[in-house]
Amino acid sequence: MIGHLTRSERQLTLYMLLAVVITGLAMLVAGKDDSLGVHGALVMVVGIAAIFGVIAEFFEPEPTENRLDSYYDEPSRIGIVFAMAWAAFGLFVGAWVAWQLAYPSLNFEAGWTSFGRLRPVHTTSVIFGFGGNALIATSFYVMQRTSRARIPDQISPLFIVFGYNLFCLLAVSGYMIGVTQSKEYAEPEWYADIWLVIVWVTYFVVYMRTLLHRKEPHIYVANWYYLAFVLIVAVLHIVNNLAVPVSFSSAKSYTIFAGVQDAMTQWWYGHNAVAFFLTAGFLGMMYYFLPKRAGRPLYSYRMSIISFWGITFFYLWAGSHHLHYTALPQWVQTLGMTFSVMLLVPSWTAAANALLTLNGAWHRVRDDATLRFMMVAAVFYGLTTFEGSFLAIRAVNSLSHYTDWTVGHVHAGALGWVAMITFGSIYAAVPWLWKRENMYSPRLVEVHFWLALAGTIVYVLAMWNSGIIQGLMWRTYASDGTLAYSFLDSLVVMHPYYIARAVGGTLFLIGALVGCYNIWMTVRAPRQPMAGPEADYPEPRVPVGSVPQAAE
Amino acid sequence: MFKALFTFHYWLERKAIGFVVAILMVSSVGGIVEIAPLFTIHQTVEAAPDMRLYTPLELAGRNIYVREGCYACHSQMIRTLRDEVERYGPYSLAVESKYDHPMLWGSKRTGPDLARIGNKYSDEWHVLHFIDPRALVPPSVMPSYARLLNNSLRTDDLGNHLTAQRAVGVPYSDEMIANARADAFGQANPDSPLSEGVSKRYGEATTVRPFDGKPDHLTEMDAIVAYLQILGRLTEAPYKTAATTGE
Amino acid sequence: MQIERDPVSGYLTTGHEWNGIKELNTPVPRIVWFFIAVTHIWALGYWLLMPAFPLGSTYTKGLLNADDRAAVTESVRQAQAARSGWTDELMSKSYAEIQRDQALMAEVRRSGRALFGDNCVACHGENGQGAPGFPDLRRSSLWGATPEVIAETIRVGINSGHKDSRVSQMPAFGRDQMLQGSQIQEVLAYVLSLSGPAGPRPAEMVEAGKAVFAANCASCHGDDAKGKLDVGAPNLTTGYWRTGGSGASLHGVLWDGLRGQMPSWEGRLSPVDRKILTLYVVDLRERHQ
Ligand code: HEC
Ligand code: HEC
Ligand code: HEC
Ligand code: HEM
Ligand code: HEM
Ligand SMILES: [Ca+2]
Ligand SMILES: [Ca+2]
Ligand SMILES: [Cu+2]
Repeated sequence: MIGHLTRSERQLTLYMLLAVVITGLAMLVAGKDDSLGVHGALVMVVGIAAIFGVIAEFFEPEPTENRLDSYYDEPSRIGIVFAMAWAAFGLFVGAWVAWQLAYPSLNFEAGWTSFGRLRPVHTTSVIFGFGGNALIATSFYVMQRTSRARIPDQISPLFIVFGYNLFCLLAVSGYMIGVTQSKEYAEPEWYADIWLVIVWVTYFVVYMRTLLHRKEPHIYVANWYYLAFVLIVAVLHIVNNLAVPVSFSSAKSYTIFAGVQDAMTQWWYGHNAVAFFLTAGFLGMMYYFLPKRAGRPLYSYRMSIISFWGITFFYLWAGSHHLHYTALPQWVQTLGMTFSVMLLVPSWTAAANALLTLNGAWHRVRDDATLRFMMVAAVFYGLTTFEGSFLAIRAVNSLSHYTDWTVGHVHAGALGWVAMITFGSIYAAVPWLWKRENMYSPRLVEVHFWLALAGTIVYVLAMWNSGIIQGLMWRTYASDGTLAYSFLDSLVVMHPYYIARAVGGTLFLIGALVGCYNIWMTVRAPRQPMAGPEADYPEPRVPVGSVPQAAE
Repeated sequence: MFKALFTFHYWLERKAIGFVVAILMVSSVGGIVEIAPLFTIHQTVEAAPDMRLYTPLELAGRNIYVREGCYACHSQMIRTLRDEVERYGPYSLAVESKYDHPMLWGSKRTGPDLARIGNKYSDEWHVLHFIDPRALVPPSVMPSYARLLNNSLRTDDLGNHLTAQRAVGVPYSDEMIANARADAFGQANPDSPLSEGVSKRYGEATTVRPFDGKPDHLTEMDAIVAYLQILGRLTEAPYKTAATTGE
Repeated sequence: MQIERDPVSGYLTTGHEWNGIKELNTPVPRIVWFFIAVTHIWALGYWLLMPAFPLGSTYTKGLLNADDRAAVTESVRQAQAARSGWTDELMSKSYAEIQRDQALMAEVRRSGRALFGDNCVACHGENGQGAPGFPDLRRSSLWGATPEVIAETIRVGINSGHKDSRVSQMPAFGRDQMLQGSQIQEVLAYVLSLSGPAGPRPAEMVEAGKAVFAANCASCHGDDAKGKLDVGAPNLTTGYWRTGGSGASLHGVLWDGLRGQMPSWEGRLSPVDRKILTLYVVDLRERHQ
């Protein structure tokens, strides 16, 4: 993994890892009576393991002079492996908690397996573990190619990928031992939050440096989205996680905002985590991989502009739609609702731009499951944003809020859009990244596609049904003007839908496991030389026909 | 006009730094307009002079609620809708969570809302329900939390917790901070000499009870039950609004 | 860098290329502009009518003067007025009258079921059957079984902290060393014998227990052990045990005492709701017999 680093870079890596181990030790000592100590030990172990990893490769031959002539793809490869590992884990936990809601004893009565602790494990693993790694990996890949420039740094991209995964590990292991802020999608505690800021700032710097080195005068639309993702997530993360730790030897902190201000900040963050993590980043992915795979020009440059700036402006106003009819002042709710509806136009413009790009390539969609993943993703993107704008209308939200309908909407977006575009992009990128002719088995891609689609449809239909029934039961009045059902009545009715959802989720999980196997086999397959006009090099080009360096 | 915009963009998309600045400017408007005024418009948080603070034991219970992720299934926010008011009680006011760092309004009701759970059930019921929810409510899907009954409550750092709370704006006094630990013990053991200080510092209405039924062992169960029993009872303000079904 | 025409769509490209990707310079479709206009005009109208924008220390109130809090208060009030037809009747009639009125009782059963489900089921079970520690409302009558008594119990609760709460307590004879271990075994044998065979316990034990009972228990449970309604001490001869009824659980009661708590519902449930629940409980009892 570090074969492409020079001896002195390897040395620097060792020093950095030593700093990590020392930080871990400090946390361990300071927090020996606290969960902080557990995390200190974890950081130390990770650091030491990494040191061994570096030492094992330390005396490997140094890279050749021309390593800087090719794109820097090692971080992307590592990121994709991490992404698939988190997908397998996060989807497994998702399926597990889904089964728990159908059969509560499936938590086996252990503390760390209880639903309240595992649910954030699931959301963090899939959003940050799977989604985040996929975004980092593809953004490195895309920004270099659309800039025709290699990432100028050698160590920092590796720092970003591994540092980011350390953050995910701290987050997920934290919930299981009871370390959480209970702020949805921002659950990690203060020290993990600070660590993420460091990683993220590095990410931004690397991104900007590459962009500033670009050989293309214009910045491609995929990069607009990746850039918005990197920037805005940073701002959201910092503001929403402002907190005062109980002490430096305690894992626990108190957020600086309280009550209604905290609620608004939280959902300004939460909604835009959806917007810039689960939407903008993946739109960046789509804008590169979909036209590339379809072999078609992007349908409309001008529509890209409308949708990008619309999304960037409107989304940030929409967070208050998570707080309709609550103690949040009504004027903010009005803004949340109206901006959510206006947001639909740029969202659909983005989806339409993608689907219209496929004009002239529909035969490929039919034959190629990888492209079909992307096509279905664009459809689900359109569907989810339509549903979102609909749910943001106060009258609708009065029914849907607190129910499984929200969960159905989430997973239409998460499974149908986020996961599908990611799988499609990964299937496209893996052969390119590992210099293979094709995936190990296109048939297994096909199998994955149908499992994913079936799983998504079952899941989403089950939750739409249960959510709407739940919402209706809570507010149904009998002819005598009193509530017709108790809360427990609605709970009993949920049971079959919870089973159906768990079945759908399990199908989806199996699909992802098939994908992991397929990718693994592709990586293991013998490498084929890639050459000709398709060869994939930054500017200045290396003479056509030269074989990529082994060190790379 | 639109043509000029596209031309401008054609220029902008060649400037990496300019693009970054543009994104930051365009994206910051919404947040600023919606969040900043919540601190300046006074009606946002109602006045409630009788609002009391969480005792150290209740705060510890709240932290267990946070730790266990109860927000994953329970909301603490009754909306201004007829069915919610009729089922759960008066709608929630902003002032009720003004000392909540973080707020726990929640976004999903797999279980019922808990904003007004205080005093609804007996301590004993809560303990039995935590031990085995399905023994009392057969269709329940809530996990069992039996272990809370055996876990001793950690109290050595309660003073630090109150200090940190004060740093974020909760008006704990020096005396409260100094006595945080004693007050936690006292609140769960009415017969101990420590219990007097609790009502002195936090008000006569403070519940001093052996919440888990074991007065001489201060457990996490004491803390979480004490917390649940205060939910909706920190102030009388919501009960003075007209939309209540009780009298 | 060359602007070309895409053969499929007929549109021109922008002339750029990124790693093989080109873009068409397709104009924004009319329909997009149309919907931008529609949504913006709609939003503008909405902002005019509703509270919308902050202004320093206040906000625009909107032409409709809408206010969620006032609206929900009004809708609850209206709903109360709308059902006043039968609720007024319910409140004005006596329990006996209502019980004879099949139409009203149908309302009670209907609306009572959801009320009972949201408030009472947690302790007393779906059909009022109770659970160990929580009485079976169809069989138990600690303070009496008339509607008036039940209504009062629901209003003030038992050992509840309400100022008029019913207060009752079964002493902890073992823990507080009021009885010796052997005496507890004896009185337990006697108490069990009242509602059936006392199991393997010998007759002389039951005899001894009878004396212990007369000296320690009769003051509350009555000489005949049929309970005393004024102290909330249960009848011990029915064979129904609120605490479960195994030898071990009854021994536990004698050792540690018992102080069941029933919350007060005054302030949480309206008088109408409480009357519905009273009748619902009475109805449960009658249908059970
Ligand atoms: C898997 C979801 C789930 C989790 C996690 C969960 N609960 Fe529950 N809870 C429920 C359900 C469902 C009910 C309704 C059935 C019942 O009473 O058990 C409920 C009921 C309750 C009630 C009674 C509410 C009422 O009005 O009847 C309380 C109190 C409660 N839960 C507290 C908690 C606390 C505190 C935690 C965390 C330590 C927690 N719950 C975690 C699902 C959950
Ligand atoms: C927190 C648990 C709890 C809830 C909730 C509860 N009860 Fe009770 N209730 C009890 C207990 C415990 C007793 C017995 C008290 C005792 O043992 O002295 C009781 C006793 C009663 C009695 C007297 C029974 C007898 O033996 O004479 C009635 C009637 C009753 N409850 C009705 C209701 C109704 C109606 C509701 C709902 C509005 C309700 N209860 C809710 C716990 C509860
Ligand atoms: C001070 C009054 C008092 C005295 C004396 C007393 N009891 Fe009780 N007993 C009660 C009350 C009140 C209850 C109901 C407690 C509750 O449900 O909260 C009760 C409950 C019980 C129960 C539980 C019934 C069930 O359904 O599970 C048993 C058994 C019992 N008493 C037996 C005895 C025996 C035997 C004695 C004498 C050794 C005795 N009691 C003396 C007041 C008394
Ligand atoms: C126009 C675009 C969208 C709008 C206006 C929108 C709106 C909404 C609304 C109104 C809710 C329900 C809030 C509630 O009642 O609690 C919601 C929840 C959610 N949406 Fe969307 N949505 C959009 C697109 C998406 C997309 C593309 C995703 C991708 C996955 C997504 C993910 C989520 C998530 C994760 C939640 C759950 C938040 C929570 O934890 O409560 N949304 N959205
Ligand atoms: C195997 C597939 C999956 C299953 C079985 C699954 C299952 C679940 C379950 C059971 C919940 C809890 C819902 C509740 O509280 O009632 C949940 C929540 C959530 N999941 Fe998944 N999930 C899967 C995949 C994903 C993916 C791929 C993503 C994101 C990329 C995702 C994102 C989320 C989010 C954001 C929530 C929180 C929703 C909310 O708060 O409203 N899930 N999931
Ligand atoms: Ca955090
Ligand atoms: Ca949620
Ligand atoms: Cu949202």
